[in-house]
This record gives sequence, structure tokens and C-alpha cells, in this order.
Amino acid sequence: MSTVDPKAVPLAVATSGTSAAPRRAWTRLFRSRTAVIGLSLIVFWVVLALLAPILPLPSPTAQDALAMADPTPSAAHWLGTDILGRDILARLIFGARTVLLVAPLSVAVAMLAGITLGMLAGYFGGWVEALVDRFSDLVLAFPVLVLYVILIANVGASVINIVIATTIASAPGIGRIVRGLVLDLKQQEYVAAARLRAESTLYIMAYELLPNCRGPLLVDACLRIGYTIITIGVLGFLGLGLPPPNPDWGGMVRETTTVINVWPLMSIAPSVAIVSLVLGFNLLADGMREAWKP
Amino acid sequence: MNAIIEQGVLGRPSAQPPQGSAPLLEIRDLRIEYRGRDESVVAVPGVSLQIAPGESYGLVGESGCGKTTTAMAVMGYLGGTGRVTSGSIRFEGEELVGASAAQLRAIRGRRVAMVYQEPMSALNPVKTIGAQLAEVPRRHLNASRSEARDMCATMLENVRLPDPLAMLKRFPHQLSGGQQQRVVIAMALLARPALLLLDEPTTGLDVTVEAAILDLIADLRKQYGTSLLYISHNLGLIASACDRVGIMYSGEMIEEADTATLFSSPRHPYTQGLLGCIPAIGSAKGTRSLAPIPGHLPLPHERPQGCWFGPRCAHFREETCGGNAIALLQADALTHHVRCARWQDIDAARADTAGEAIQAADAQAALVIDAVSKQYVLGGSKRVVQANEQVSFEVGKGEIVGLVGESGCGKSSLARMLVGLEAASSGSIRFDDTELAQLPAKKRPRDMLKSIQMVFQNPDSTLNPSHSVASPIRRALKKFGGYKDKAQIEQRLQQLLQLVRLPAEVAQRRPAQLSGGQKQRIAIARAFATDPSLIVADEPVSALDVSVQAAIVTLLLSIQKEQQSTLLFISHDLALVRHVADRVVVMYLGRVMEKGRAEEIFAPPYHPYTEALLSAVHSPDASVKQERVRLTGETPSPINVPPGCRFASRCHRKLGDICDTVAPPVRDATPTHQIACHISLDELRKVRPVFHATLQSSQAGANNE
Repeated sequence: MSTVDPKAVPLAVATSGTSAAPRRAWTRLFRSRTAVIGLSLIVFWVVLALLAPILPLPSPTAQDALAMADPTPSAAHWLGTDILGRDILARLIFGARTVLLVAPLSVAVAMLAGITLGMLAGYFGGWVEALVDRFSDLVLAFPVLVLYVILIANVGASVINIVIATTIASAPGIGRIVRGLVLDLKQQEYVAAARLRAESTLYIMAYELLPNCRGPLLVDACLRIGYTIITIGVLGFLGLGLPPPNPDWGGMVRETTTVINVWPLMSIAPSVAIVSLVLGFNLLADGMREAWKP
Repeated sequence: MNAIIEQGVLGRPSAQPPQGSAPLLEIRDLRIEYRGRDESVVAVPGVSLQIAPGESYGLVGESGCGKTTTAMAVMGYLGGTGRVTSGSIRFEGEELVGASAAQLRAIRGRRVAMVYQEPMSALNPVKTIGAQLAEVPRRHLNASRSEARDMCATMLENVRLPDPLAMLKRFPHQLSGGQQQRVVIAMALLARPALLLLDEPTTGLDVTVEAAILDLIADLRKQYGTSLLYISHNLGLIASACDRVGIMYSGEMIEEADTATLFSSPRHPYTQGLLGCIPAIGSAKGTRSLAPIPGHLPLPHERPQGCWFGPRCAHFREETCGGNAIALLQADALTHHVRCARWQDIDAARADTAGEAIQAADAQAALVIDAVSKQYVLGGSKRVVQANEQVSFEVGKGEIVGLVGESGCGKSSLARMLVGLEAASSGSIRFDDTELAQLPAKKRPRDMLKSIQMVFQNPDSTLNPSHSVASPIRRALKKFGGYKDKAQIEQRLQQLLQLVRLPAEVAQRRPAQLSGGQKQRIAIARAFATDPSLIVADEPVSALDVSVQAAIVTLLLSIQKEQQSTLLFISHDLALVRHVADRVVVMYLGRVMEKGRAEEIFAPPYHPYTEALLSAVHSPDASVKQERVRLTGETPSPINVPPGCRFASRCHRKLGDICDTVAPPVRDATPTHQIACHISLDELRKVRPVFHATLQSSQAGANNE
């Protein structure tokens, strides 16, 4: 056979453009209208929550005795006050701070736990997988809300407890997703190539497998943040939320349902807040799925 | 039935549609576009072709050339985004472009039928074969239930499936891949269509099964007078199955002629290039080198001015080829058309380049595989998959050993044991006097890891899509190269990229930004990064187009030669193995059937299985005449294999009960050539060679018989 001249013209490179692949993934995402609407809703609440201390708002816990006589919207209270004369707008905005802190934090911790479980089960298989599976079955067989209520009712409502409850309830689901992905990914030839370099198991998991799970996991994280916001709302509505007088969206609905026929805005405003934020996360998740589908 | 194939091989008088009779299918200036969100892509800018009643027309091209799109347009299946924007498709005189859904429904399945590449996805997994087949006569021929069942049973018999009545009650998953494809063909032929579209109908099948399916199609065509539109990337297959051939390139027809003319005197440089890319089964290692076509198929938006093949063409002249679009011109014969402005200046010959003959010295053994067996126990039960049994062979230093066999023969599991991805169940693997059989990669000493590297099969899974393509190479250099500082690693990385002839800037790309061939080059660079002495290449080119395949093989061979590495080349493609290997090991169902020096394997005495494999190879070279041996059935399951010869159930030379009950003796035909068969060597020596020495093959080295 002829030896090819090593100085021969290098092959033309097939694709045009030099931008890295991940940057294109974000560009694609921003081209999706669904994702942009979702992201706008989230950014809207995030900006309000961040600016809350410097906005010219009354204190969310201060009671305006004058407004109690007529809690409907006025120049002083744009969305009116609740039955205790506290400014609804201020309570919504300060409430957003709690929700936007607790929900992503819970999901992040749940992700960490879920990814670890799923990675171990998927990569090692055998008894590790069986163990993780049985544990997941057990947790998943519980109605999630009942699980929350049992947990919170027994250990009390606090940010940490909500995080723990979310982690226990969500980790198995996340684990399932990761395990499914890893079962396929570990068969890929690049993993075999890494094993031929005698790479450590941790390296293979963290460097070769995990980055390829990020698409489905980001989508799932977004959806889960949405669910967690709903859950926090429900816990608040059941009286298991953060203790008063802290502003809590679910709690705001609970405190005002008795007067819903007279002053509906008191319940509607926090409900709309919950819906808009959850919708934001769900739309973003849909947008991601659409933009990144293979 | 033989007559058809024999003619195909020997060349036939020009099979031009009889003058005056209307063509069955006439495609004229067909333009197909795919509309994306922002832009539309012209997949096929203007294709014309005609198929006469009873004719078999082959449409050849590399992936992305528009051949499947054209066929789909005929069926009216372009999906939500595809659209015929101009041109016409006339079938039996009826215009199909713009035809109503009802009109199309009346034609599809009834007058035009299609056989797809993946039989499993063409069959509905939750319906029995009988129920699916019966839909065709019930719908198109208004047959009653019992009539339909009879027709289906008869058709299954015609496609040579055993026990048709029982077959009707089975579900698709209970059939093997070859049987499924026979069912799909039966379904397509049930309504006696005038035209059958075959889109890579045998691509996923083993070579011996492929050969049988092609024979079947040829037979049925003769029986029913069906016209065929054959779509394939496999030139050899097209040469033996078609009357006329059209070569497509980037959505255009670039050459069209009857089969004999096209393969004996191709006029377009691309056609000549394609033929130069295929290893010839008739030529031994070192007698002919593959001539890869440089560059790549232009994407629709990359098509250059003038000739679209121009940038890759050695005959390109700016003044003739770089200006206006090139027209399809008439070449030597009335029926021979070529889209090349300079066709008269180019020799109508196959661009064969002679290689340098190599003398394979009897090197000392670098790798000794001795009685290696591998069993997988399924689900803790008694079901044992015998992937390898008592496999023994040696690989000399600096030698290339070809490991050949069909799917399920255990060649990949053997490769995984060699590199340490799995441990052997028993036996010994010695490399440089170190015992490796029980050592997984993790427990192997660094030197050993460094010395044995692997090139994998699938370009899409060989590189991690999340990281730059250089990342695994850098990692290997850091781990094994002894390079400490970054500059040294980068320098060596650039050297490696140069070695596989990729430009330096590729290093930062993600795999998704590279073509299949480029990814495989990176995989080769990764393997050679550790300066290995043994490379295990598991089907390294089987997923690539022929022109890319030629380039990668040539590259691998040149690096192997330069680095003096030992290469174990695993493949199902005998012609390729003949082109590459010094010695060959033929495996079937986990056992070695025959092993020896390449020239010994490709000439009698053959193991009957080797003989069948050789005769299943489709060669585009009309001057090579081939014996026909067709195996029945398919490779049986490797679960709980019977004693005796593994090949007995399909063997065309089976002696009798002894083959089923007693394991065959391993006979030495020469000190370097062993055959495991009950038939005596003297008998095997009397077998006619599969390739008769005619014209080219006599010079090319099938001269050892």
C-alpha cells in the first residue's frame, strides 16, 4: 500500500462556524417563545424579590388599622390589605423571597441526593440497584402530600424541614431518571475508552456520564421547582407552612378564605402569584425540552 | 434463478427499455426541498430517471446524497417538512406530484410497494404476521378473510419461509432479522405491485443472509415481472442485482448507464473514485491500495459554483468546471450519461492504484490466545451463552491479523477480553509474556494499559458529546505519556492530529461538529496517543460510507506500518480483511473454523463456512466470476449450543450425524493453516475456488490455488 504523505492537505472540516456546542444550546433556547415567556415570569418575580427591601413598600407585617375598615385597593395599598390590615402587595413580594429561596434550594438538595442514588444504581447494577429500587418504591408508593404532612407535622415547619421533606419525596424520582440515562450511557464506547485508561469510577461518573445527563435533569429540575412551589403553597394552606407572621403565599390564601365572598382579591392575589411562578417554571421546562430535543 | 445472477456478474447486453414502450416510472426534473424554521434546504435540486416495466434500477450514493429522499417522494412520504417544489413523477402514466391523498392511497401498497432497511420497525410488534399480511389483500384486492389467509400462506412459501401456516400465527419478535425481512418482502409483493422500492433492504443483515435475500428478490422479480428501484450504498450489491445504475451525488444524478458499462468503463471521476475505494475480494494484501476520495460530500448550502464534485476532483479545471452548472451529457453509448465537463479527457478506467507488495515475515508472537472461553450466564438460570469456546490463535509482532465472522460469532467479546473490559471464563491470553485473561483493565499494570489500545466501531458513541474531541487524547497523554507541562501535551496533541491528518483547530470542537470519518480519526489518534504496541480495531469502518472507509483504512494501515504496531482487525467484510490482513481467523458461533495466512484462507482448501462467506461477497468487478454457495437459515442462538460442529445446522457439505454429535478435528492443511472440519483435507482441496481466475483477478493474486 502506498504511504500517505503526512504533509498531505488536512481534510476540510465538515461544519461551519466555530461557536462551541453549549453556547448554541442556549441560543436555541432563547429562540423558543415558550421558554422566553416562562423565563420572563420567573425573572419578574426574582427581580421583585431581590428589590423588595428597597422598594417603597410598607412592612409586610405592619398592620394598618385604618385600612382594616376598608381593605380594598387604595393609593396607599395598591392591592388592598388583608383582614389584619397588612399590605397584600408587600406580603406577595416578601413572600416571593421565601418561595424563591426554599423551592430551588430544596430541589438542589434533592437533585444531589437523587443523582447520587441513580448514578450508583445505574452504574453498578446488581444488589446496589436492587436496594435503591426498593427504597424508591417505598417512597414513591406514598402519596407525596401525605408524606409531607406527616413529616412537617411531626418535626415542625422550617426551611430546613421543607428541604428535607422535598429531598425524601423527590430523590427517588430523580434517581430513576438518572439510572435510566446511565444504563444507556455506560454502554457507550467512550466509557469503555475511559475504562481502558483505568480511570477511577468517580471520574467516569462525574466526567463521562454526568454531563450527558444535564439536558433531561435541567428540564426535570425546572418542573420540580414548580411542583415544590405548589407544595409549599399547599403546606401553607394547611397551616403547615412557615409560622406567622412571615408572609407565605399559601398561608395568605388560608387566612382569607373565610371572607372570600366579600373580599375575593385577598385570596385571588396570592393564588395568582403561585400560578404565575409555577407557570413560569413549567413553560421554561417545556421550552428546554423543545429546544434541546435531539 | 441462477441465470439472472450469472448474467449480472458476467455483464449483459444493455438492458435499455424497449423503444416505444412507455416507462413504468418516469421522474423528471424532480426538485425536493425541506422547509426548516428559518430556511429551506434543497435536498434534491433536479433529478430525472426512468424505469421500464420489469427493469431493475439501482440508485447508488453515499449517505446524504438524496437517494432515499427521491424514493420517498415517489411514495409521497416526505413528512411534514419535505415538499416537491417542481418536476414530475409519472407512474403508469399517472402524475403523482400533487395527486390527492385518495389517489396516492390507491397506488401505494397496491401498485408501488416499499421494503425498508429496518424490518423490525416496518412490522407492528403487537400484531401477528398473518394479521399484518392479510391487510394487504383485504384492502387492495377485496379478498375475503379465507382468501387472504391462503394468499398470505402462499406468499410466505414463495419467500421461502418454513412452515407458512405456523408462521402466520407468530409475532415479529419471534422471527430472526432475515425472516422478518422476508415477511416484509412478502407483504410488499402480496398485491403484486408493478414497482418495488427497496431502500437498503439488506444493510442490517449478515452477509450470508444478505446473499440469500438478494437471490430471493431476483427470483421473485423474475416470477412476478416486478420492476425494482434498488437503493444502496453497496456498489457490489447493485452490480449483481440491477440492470441499470444511477449514481447520485449531493442530490444530482452524476452518471447513469447500464450495469456492465458503468462498472467496466465509468466516466465520472466520482464513480471512478467510488470504485477505487472498494477493496476487491480478488486482490490480496499489498497488490492494490485503496484510493480514498479527499474531502466530503457538500451539504446543500455548501454546494460550490460549477461542478459540485469539483473541490474533490483531481481533474478539476477552473475554466471548464468552475463556471456554470454542469449538464448531464451523453457519453460513449446512447444510454450512458455523465455530468462531467471533462469526461472525454478522463480515462474510462477504474482508478486502480497498485500497492507495494509486502513480505510478511514470520514474526515472533506478540499475543498468544490459548483455549479462551467466555460464557455468560443469563439471569442466574441454566441458560448459558457460549460467546467463545476454546479459541486459540497467535498474533505476531507487527502483524495484522483479521478476525472475521458474522454477528454472534464472538469476535467482539474476544476483543473485550483482550483489552480488559471483560475477563475470560477460562483459557489464557498472553501478551509480552504477561497473563491477561483474568485481568480487568483496572488491575492491569500501567505498561500493559499503555500497550494495548482499542479503536471502536461506532463513530457516534466513541467520543463523549459533552467534551471537546481533544479531551480524551489530552487525558491519555497526561496519564501515560509522562508529559508534565501543558505545552508538551499540546505539542504532542498537535502531532497526533497531524498523524490522523486533521487540522489543528479541530481539537476544540465537540464531536457533534465533526463528520463520522473525522470522529473515527480522533478515535485512532486517541488509541495511538499512548504509543501502544497492540491495537484492537473492532469493526472500525463498518459504520462509514465507502469513500470515508477507504480513507480510514488507508490511514490505519499507514500508521500501523509507521509505528510497527501489531493490529487485530475485526470485521465482517471479507474483501476488506483480504485487503488488510497478513493472517486471518474465521469464527462462527464462538469457535474458530479456520485460520491461516491470508492467501491460504482465500483459496482451497476452505472450511465450508469460509467458502460460503466468500461466495456471499458481492463484487462490483464483472471480470471476477464467483461460485454460488448459499446457506440456509441463520446463525443459531448461542444459548445452550449442541455438541458437534457449530456450523453443522447450516453446512452445505454436511457429512451426516457425525457433524452433529462429534466436535470436528482441527486439521493442519499447512503448518500455518488449520481447518476445523470432519471433511478430509483431500476432499476440501478438490473444492472449486470461489473466485475463478479471470482477467484481473489472475494478476491480482488469487493465484495460490
